[in-house]
Amino acid sequence: MNLFRSEEHARRWSQFEPRSEQGFISLTDLADFFGTESRRHMLDADYLSSWYPHRAAERRAFLEQIGKNSPFWMGTPDPPTS
Amino acid sequence: MPDARLMDQAFQRIMRSLVDTGRAPHYAELGRAFDLGAEGGRGLLRDVMQAYPIGWLHPETDYIASFPPLNNLPTQYRITVRGEQRWFAQCGFEATSATWLFPGETVRVDAPCLDCAEPVMVEMRDGRITRVDPPSVVGHLAFGFGPSRGRPHYL
Repeated sequence: MNLFRSEEHARRWSQFEPRSEQGFISLTDLADFFGTESRRHMLDADYLSSWYPHRAAERRAFLEQIGKNSPFWMGTPDPPTS
Repeated sequence: MPDARLMDQAFQRIMRSLVDTGRAPHYAELGRAFDLGAEGGRGLLRDVMQAYPIGWLHPETDYIASFPPLNNLPTQYRITVRGEQRWFAQCGFEATSATWLFPGETVRVDAPCLDCAEPVMVEMRDGRITRVDPPSVVGHLAFGFGPSRGRPHYL
């Protein structure tokens, strides 16, 4: 999960894999993705017990909202190929 | 089952140590803080890391390597606050979350681009992006989320 100077720079990266063409995200979407409600409470006394458990659902909801609902982004198994 | 209140307190002890000093505590320091002794601190640390699996210990050790959004082990994502570069982010994505650890402060992320090694810079304040250089900076998920991808998703 990296920041590159541009998409072209990422595509020239020695470890770039063709499948990760779907792995681009704008900086503003990224800031929102990593700025969901639970993230704003990381310094709260009850973060681990009260806020962290919401993180996964928030992430899924945000990814669906921006149309990144593929297994690659959602962390779900790939559909069978045969 | 570990006590939830103690786990919350231990989590905050680690996070606050990282925010205040740029370094995570050793488990013996954690144990002393909670009057548990060194071994008790080790057990508490392991419980916290199990409950917060997006962080990790360095393999074969009980040293905190990563406690996102910050990293105890240096990465290319250097974070500067109030003119001091004391912190590292776990990855480029988590770097955009570090802003929430420093309310009211400008948080600057500097990293070399992995293609050309030229600089990437992002400044944020209270979750808002205030400056980006170059303006074309983009995030890239290399291997996909999820354990089935077979590669560390943080790369």
